[in-house]
Amino acid sequence: MSRERDKDWDQDLYKKVDRYRLVENLEQCLQCGKCTGNCPVAAITPSYNPRQVINDILRGSPVRLLNSEEIWRCFWCANCYRLCPVDIHYPMLMMQIRYYALENGYGLKYVVPINKYAFRALDEGLTFVPGRKGIEKIKKLREGIGVDSWPEVSDKAKQEYRAIFEQTGVVDWMRALEEKTEKPLSLSYLEGKIGTRGEAC
Amino acid sequence: MNAQRVITPRERIGEVPEKIFLFRSCTGSMEYPGTENAIKEALKILGVEVVMDPDQTCCSGYILTCSGYTPEPSLAVTARNLAIVEQRYDLDTYAFCNGCFGYIKELSHILQHNSDYMEMANNLIGQWGYKYQARTRIFHIQELYYLLLDKIREKVVRPLTGLRVAAHYGCHYLAQQYGILDEGDLPTFHEEIYEALGATPVFYKHRRMCCGYAVGRGFTHAQSVVQPHLSKKFDSAKEEGVELITTTCPGCNVALDREQPKLARRGFGPYDIPVISLDQLIALALGVPVWKLGFDANTVSVDGVLEKLGLGKGE
Repeated sequence: MSRERDKDWDQDLYKKVDRYRLVENLEQCLQCGKCTGNCPVAAITPSYNPRQVINDILRGSPVRLLNSEEIWRCFWCANCYRLCPVDIHYPMLMMQIRYYALENGYGLKYVVPINKYAFRALDEGLTFVPGRKGIEKIKKLREGIGVDSWPEVSDKAKQEYRAIFEQTGVVDWMRALEEKTEKPLSLSYLEGKIGTRGEAC
Repeated sequence: MNAQRVITPRERIGEVPEKIFLFRSCTGSMEYPGTENAIKEALKILGVEVVMDPDQTCCSGYILTCSGYTPEPSLAVTARNLAIVEQRYDLDTYAFCNGCFGYIKELSHILQHNSDYMEMANNLIGQWGYKYQARTRIFHIQELYYLLLDKIREKVVRPLTGLRVAAHYGCHYLAQQYGILDEGDLPTFHEEIYEALGATPVFYKHRRMCCGYAVGRGFTHAQSVVQPHLSKKFDSAKEEGVELITTTCPGCNVALDREQPKLARRGFGPYDIPVISLDQLIALALGVPVWKLGFDANTVSVDGVLEKLGLGKGE
């Protein structure tokens, strides 16, 4: 991994990441590490460290963060948020870091495959509608218990759902991601940090 | 974290509602259709009317949390769905999926505390005549069960005597932090419900652990992350002799149920613990016909549990 350079540091990183203002109180972080101690992902991937992520964002150090695979490992259980003594909404931070990474071409492999399901949801008003075979199975199951063979979602609902996505420009946003070139990720978020080479802190 | 977070269902909900709006869950209605049926049947017995609306769409939270799209459409979709509840029914909204509950609660919170987003959403949905005014309160169906605990105890016709049941509460309910029914670290209200049904609640070491479904069981993080994590959970449940796990989230149910044979293929386990929803367990004890509960949808067979209770699938 390349070394961090002075010019890579960005004092406005936090503002840029939290552009939707869904976190807003990150500066209050006490660095107590409760988030990390309770994180099920950190338990399996020691190089993933929510406390470190917050620290790097506040200090304005995007390089290691954006090209790390670790930021794609959070599975949003939100136990960090539950335990945070100052109520930092870490999952919302993670979501926005991912947008920032995507914009810079990192981590597309984690999002572009989901587009297929997202586009499908626009047609159905339901997320994760399976293929033809799966639909048949669901219909059989539902009929077997005496309910309508398909979840009742009206055409009006589907049209309005799609229109919301089109009018907010998100359909274009998703298509643009598909056309971007992917930059490689590395699973070595803490590597290169003094005193923590090769081990979790 | 503090005493304020533990409130009684009466403080949270108030009087038992006569009628509720039930928020459809995509995963629930497709993967385990028996769950929705169980809720309707159980609440019929408990005297609460359930309303649903075909114009309600997906909560759109899941793909949002995968960063698959940006927050604007999800905020507008939430405003639209809740506006339907307010304008057509004027009822409180009850989700039966922790995901739906967490997302609509979170997103409506953002709308209510951020006038720019509220305006954006209402302008967008205004073209179809909707206006979200944040009148409908958002609850999870499990909160209603806890409010109805005494009535449930009264109405049990098939006591689940001797059945060792363990809870999986699901993160997106407990992680809401404020205004949930129980202490996020050591909740016990599911166990109290089991006792009311006559079952034996079992505590296992990793009962509070996430199911791993939350973001992308197969998308954003590889199986290599989820499976070792899940196997820890099942090992601890197995040690305690758990016969059945219940969930309050179809997503958790998918992860815990569908993943068991896959775990065995990767050298974990093997595990054979059926996973059903709390709604199905309650409906079972309240005497709802077994065929209406749709146990055929389960990957890990529930037959052993039914046999133990002296029930057949067709009953």
